[in-house]
Amino acid sequence: MVDQALLVLRIGVLVLLYVFVWRIARTAIRDVRGAQESMIIRPGQGFEHLPLADEQRAPVATEPVPPGRLLVVESDVLPAGAAVLLEEHEVLIGRDPHAAAMLEGDGFVSARHALVRVRGTSTSVVDLGSTNGTFVNGERIAIETRLSPGDEVAVGSTRMIFEPGS
Amino acid sequence: MITERGMLDLPTRNRELGLIGLAVVITTAGFAAVQLARAQEFSSSPIIAALLFAFAYFAAHIVVRVVLPDADPYVLPITAVLTAIGLIEIYRISPQLARDQGIWMLLGLALFVGVVIAFRDIRRLEELKYTCGAVAVGLLLLTITLGASVNGARLWIRVGGLQIQPGEFAKILLVIFLAGYLRERREVLAAPTRRFLGIGIPALRHALPLLLLCGISLVLLVAMNDLGTSLLFFVIALAMIYIATGRLLYVGAGLGVFALGALGAVQLTSHVQSRIEGWLDPWAVEQTSGYQIAQSIYTIADGGVLGAGFGRGLILNDTGGTIIPYAQTDFIYSVIANEMGLVGAIAVILLYLLLSWRGFRIATAADDGFSKLLAAGLATAVAFQVFVIVGGVIRLLPLTGLTLPFVSYGGSSVTANFAIAGLLLCISQRANRERPL
Repeated sequence: MVDQALLVLRIGVLVLLYVFVWRIARTAIRDVRGAQESMIIRPGQGFEHLPLADEQRAPVATEPVPPGRLLVVESDVLPAGAAVLLEEHEVLIGRDPHAAAMLEGDGFVSARHALVRVRGTSTSVVDLGSTNGTFVNGERIAIETRLSPGDEVAVGSTRMIFEPGS
Repeated sequence: MITERGMLDLPTRNRELGLIGLAVVITTAGFAAVQLARAQEFSSSPIIAALLFAFAYFAAHIVVRVVLPDADPYVLPITAVLTAIGLIEIYRISPQLARDQGIWMLLGLALFVGVVIAFRDIRRLEELKYTCGAVAVGLLLLTITLGASVNGARLWIRVGGLQIQPGEFAKILLVIFLAGYLRERREVLAAPTRRFLGIGIPALRHALPLLLLCGISLVLLVAMNDLGTSLLFFVIALAMIYIATGRLLYVGAGLGVFALGALGAVQLTSHVQSRIEGWLDPWAVEQTSGYQIAQSIYTIADGGVLGAGFGRGLILNDTGGTIIPYAQTDFIYSVIANEMGLVGAIAVILLYLLLSWRGFRIATAADDGFSKLLAAGLATAVAFQVFVIVGGVIRLLPLTGLTLPFVSYGGSSVTANFAIAGLLLCISQRANRERPL
């Protein structure tokens, strides 16, 4: 009697242990199928090799030109009329304290949300896998998108108008 | 979007509660089995112990439900199952030790609740990074000066009637310091200013405090003769530096330094030499330095695939002591493998796999550098500690005295690990709150 009870308890515990492991592990399987985010924080990592759709046609400037800018027209966290100067080759938009366009306090903005890239006179924006997306003229962008003068870039509650450098 | 929600309308927390319920069933069955095997009849005492366990975890769950409604739902239940397995096997070794371990678990959960409430906003901890670094070094210094030597390693201090192992807490404080410091300096460390032999080297003034702190910790630990903890600290520091900078150079340099240090340790200390002997060929030194590891292998082999069963394994000798010295701390994994078999031993490894996966998952979901580094550092600490001690008892690695987190007997180890669980939950709350699905 004692032996049977012990056998039942012993097998029962092992089965329950694996039930427990399985109930958590199946979320891991779901997780692996989803989008991967890198755990390593490396500046510039992961978006160097994205194809720029019209890279070939982009004219390359031979001389430095005055920087373009993104003019804020509406935002919950930045004053309207503020400008984000596109002085670097890569300008980060996000809640990260090191972002050039720092949108701290906007719950719809990811830490590293989007990147504006400046190459000569060609300027483009790429979404860095943000949760809520980056929009150009109201459309959510899937790939790196070239900006034309007057295009509207929206990230979270912030809408900005692109003005190229002269 | 998060709106006002009722206390019961939290699917994440309900999942946590369900898994804790499962852990309670496992605990009850395990306690009952050990008690039945010992006394040959059922009694109410294991049920009462299991109820106490259930009550403590339920209380911790309620606190999380109120304070961190969006935190990770898996960490707390995983700690519950691991603690339960530890309690069952310690109860099997000695009811008196199990009672003590039960008290440590209650204190651990109390510390968990304290951490959860105090660092609900994890950024508060970042401001304390230098304090944490200083306290970590202080604790280690205290151990050296006041420490009592147990089994060749000086890692205990006595306060009143209690023995405390400060290294367990120093480990967490060091991870907090490294997370705060690396988050502040990762850019200058990642972008070298000078080149030497074609390899970029960061400015010394940025790297110096880091090198100094790691150096001090390691010297202190070698002075304590506690090579397991020393190795653990070193790996945590390397992993965090790599995560912060993404540069393999630091990992390569670190491993080189460690290889030199290990060679030196083998040459200089008899303690390490005997551990290596016991690892390479335990049967040649079975009666001396290989005794523990040889007994561990016999015990594991005796368990077979399904195990001897709770209370039925060959764990104790005729005098009531354990056959493997320190079976309840360093060698608890051998006892688990004996009574629960290969199947149970693999389940334990899977539980640690899930726990460290949750830790790294929390790190990837976190969106500030400090949280990322802290979560990844803590996950590394737990995962590597399990690797070293389990590797030690199954003779994959030379044996080093480390505890199996949440499972091994010992107040410092248990409470420190519950603090780690609390920190992980606080980090996940922040990340999940800001990224509603």
